[in-house]
Amino acid sequence: MRRKASLVLLACAVFCAALSPLMRWYAFPRLARIPANQYQDMVLEARGATLLDYGTMRAKKVSQVTVVQTLRGDVDAAKRIGKTAGRPVVVWDGLSYVQGPDGKMVSKVPERYIFDAHSQDPVHATGEMVDGDPVTRHGIEFKWPFLTQKRDYEYFDAQTRTTSPIHYKGTRTFRGLKVYFFEQTIPWTKVPMPKSMPVQGITPESVARTGTTRWYSTVRRFWVEPVTGAPVYGEELHQEELRGGTLLGGRARVTAFAGDVKMREDYIEHTVALVEHNRTLVLMLTSYVPWGSLTAGLLLLALSLCLEARARRPRGPAPAKATDPEPVSA
Amino acid sequence: MRALIAAATGLVLALAAVLTITATGTPAGGTSPKPLLTTVPSHP
Repeated sequence: MRRKASLVLLACAVFCAALSPLMRWYAFPRLARIPANQYQDMVLEARGATLLDYGTMRAKKVSQVTVVQTLRGDVDAAKRIGKTAGRPVVVWDGLSYVQGPDGKMVSKVPERYIFDAHSQDPVHATGEMVDGDPVTRHGIEFKWPFLTQKRDYEYFDAQTRTTSPIHYKGTRTFRGLKVYFFEQTIPWTKVPMPKSMPVQGITPESVARTGTTRWYSTVRRFWVEPVTGAPVYGEELHQEELRGGTLLGGRARVTAFAGDVKMREDYIEHTVALVEHNRTLVLMLTSYVPWGSLTAGLLLLALSLCLEARARRPRGPAPAKATDPEPVSA
Repeated sequence: MRALIAAATGLVLALAAVLTITATGTPAGGTSPKPLLTTVPSHP
């Protein structure tokens, strides 16, 4: 009976011990993926920003500029590109919609971002673009990979259509979560005019004919929860200028937009709650189940060996055989 | 020999469990019908 029990325990021990690396190295990369059908919106605000008045072509202080960012996963495109790429792919159609204090559109920039659902590596396919311009992304955008490391990453900047390092600047605590702080500085760079301009009749082509160019600089900061790779907070010290040309009436430069763009409070709370939930799921695959099952496996193995040893041990001394009395002869 | 069979059984069951879980995977679903926003939502 004991030997049977020890064999069952041995099978359970091997089951648990094998489950540990299988969960961490086989199941985790296949299960921890960004869903292809994800839909996410985010609102950022720049209070006390400076905005160009296209009527007077002069910069003016405004109470608030709002940025609405939406990301929507295109499932059919993800399946199609994933088949060609031979790996699970996510296709995000994004829109950055900037609205002035009067509710009118300041700019809107659509983009299509294609990436590996687990590793976050960019995947290149037809349709990858920013504001209608084909691009070939390198590095990450919007989100970091699962199990983010304490190192610099390459981050794609949609305005300049270029990739440059985003530096790891230390570990911090944000709303009770351990986060990695990253910062990227984009120096003043000449960038294309947005395809959608805020004033009817003005097009990027008509502005280009005046010789006026658009320049941009930003300091981008992200607080990234390292298990999920999801930013829980972000802000940007964003500056845009129009320079030169006849449009500015002899002035060398005019501010088109300047402001400290920050996530709206209700979206911070929502993001932190979502990330906390997803963090637990990822930790199940990377830590809780692997370490738990390994510990259980070792305990069961010890128990199995103990039972086996007891089953093999003789059960006390055998009763002494009574010796026949020797015959006595008189 | 019995111990070997027991260990192999445990290993096969672990492999089967993990393969089943990963094969089930996460459902892809369909593309959200919600639009890319051009208005400011009042809440997340």
